[in-house]
Amino acid sequence: MMLICGTIPQEDFPLSIGTVKFSGKSLTVGAREILCLQGTAALTGAACVTTEYLGVNPPQALLVGDRGTGKGSRLLYEYLSKNLPPLAPRVLVLHYILPVMGLMKKVCESAQRCHQKPIMIADASSMYAAKAAGLATRFDVFTPDACEMAFLADPDATHPAYMSRHLFDSDITQTPELAAKAYQNRSAARLLLVKGSVDYIVEEGKIIETITEPDIPELEAIGGTGDTITGIVAAFTSAGLELNEAAILAARANRMAGRYARAAPASRIWEIIAQLPAVFREHLCAWRGSCGEMMVATR
Amino acid sequence: MGAFGKNKKEGFEGGGLILFRNVEEAIKAEKVLKAADYMVKLVAPPPLLRKGCDLALEIALVEQTGIERLFREKDVHYVEIIPMKGSGELLEIVKVKDFGEAMMVKAGNMKLTFDKKLGTILNISGGGCPDIPYLHAELIDKKLTCAIRPRENGFTLCALMLDRAFVESLEIWNRMEKP
Repeated sequence: MMLICGTIPQEDFPLSIGTVKFSGKSLTVGAREILCLQGTAALTGAACVTTEYLGVNPPQALLVGDRGTGKGSRLLYEYLSKNLPPLAPRVLVLHYILPVMGLMKKVCESAQRCHQKPIMIADASSMYAAKAAGLATRFDVFTPDACEMAFLADPDATHPAYMSRHLFDSDITQTPELAAKAYQNRSAARLLLVKGSVDYIVEEGKIIETITEPDIPELEAIGGTGDTITGIVAAFTSAGLELNEAAILAARANRMAGRYARAAPASRIWEIIAQLPAVFREHLCAWRGSCGEMMVATR
Repeated sequence: MGAFGKNKKEGFEGGGLILFRNVEEAIKAEKVLKAADYMVKLVAPPPLLRKGCDLALEIALVEQTGIERLFREKDVHYVEIIPMKGSGELLEIVKVKDFGEAMMVKAGNMKLTFDKKLGTILNISGGGCPDIPYLHAELIDKKLTCAIRPRENGFTLCALMLDRAFVESLEIWNRMEKP
């Protein structure tokens, strides 16, 4: 089971857990509908579309309303700290949650208590909290952009807004050096998917793949295009692919979906997500080198 | 009060410190923040960071934007908010990328893209704090000249970075020759 955890920008949205359905521009969890915007909704939408294409179980989502006050995030941390072992997700995705180091530690302790530790994926503020709390090495995948890669490389920074200026001046081409620093400082997950004009897949300190095509610079401007990559990685991982293959396929698919959508700076994220089935249908076999069925995870 | 509210501060690691000139200001600030349900803890500031009294407040650094706004509203005086480790200065620099008909301004981990002809906000990307999807929904399609600044509605450091991108975008827009 894949469990996606994050916040929704509706203060009155109660802590909810359940199977997610995606339809066009919105998600539904139980009887509640959520517009598919930047953030956890975009990640979840991409994960839903990908799992549906692959014919595997849709994601479960643990969502709560939080407009930034942190109240919903604290409920979510508390729930995960108590309930991860019985939930026993195979893949755990931590996303837009107010980054509080002490509370992230409790979640990681809870994950350690699972009969089998989940495959742990973090992006956005959950990645910030994991790195700042010194927990990065407990994670299997981080999906930073170029700025966040510089943040991971800064040994002392606890948020990208406070990282060293010389690191912020880095660009995507300096990812190899920044990744090396991050691994040296134990501030990186086992695998990094660094998103940018060049996507880097870095596994345990070694760059195993770079992806540059198709080149769609407009994707950087569109809110949610980083979130969708993380959702696709999680879905492929949930379907049983190795992390490195999941990451490579996700980076390729996201770019190609941008091309199919004719991405422009004003595009909306659901327009990109809507293209994913066609991208998979037309390219997945070639990218994988075969059309063999995915090894479907059973749990 | 949830289980992680003000009474569960033991071991709290928020990563940020508020420094004060005197103890009275620190006590008042603690009271104001607790009343607003912020996680806070009175601590002794490390000697190297001390800039006034012997009391400081540990906060979740990411909540700096909301805390500063609350202090303005409640007339709470403080010296500064700083991270407990690392660079003590917020990133000031911004980067600009021109898409032809649109301009993207990056500040820290946040990016704002606006239409060069109309001055409307086309997109917001980057970041990862819980207030960003809300600000995204609030700001998209608004004119830069009419939109409410992100720091007025946001709570986090991501919102503060977005505010910097917004201010820079507005300055660029104001300098542009209009058709």
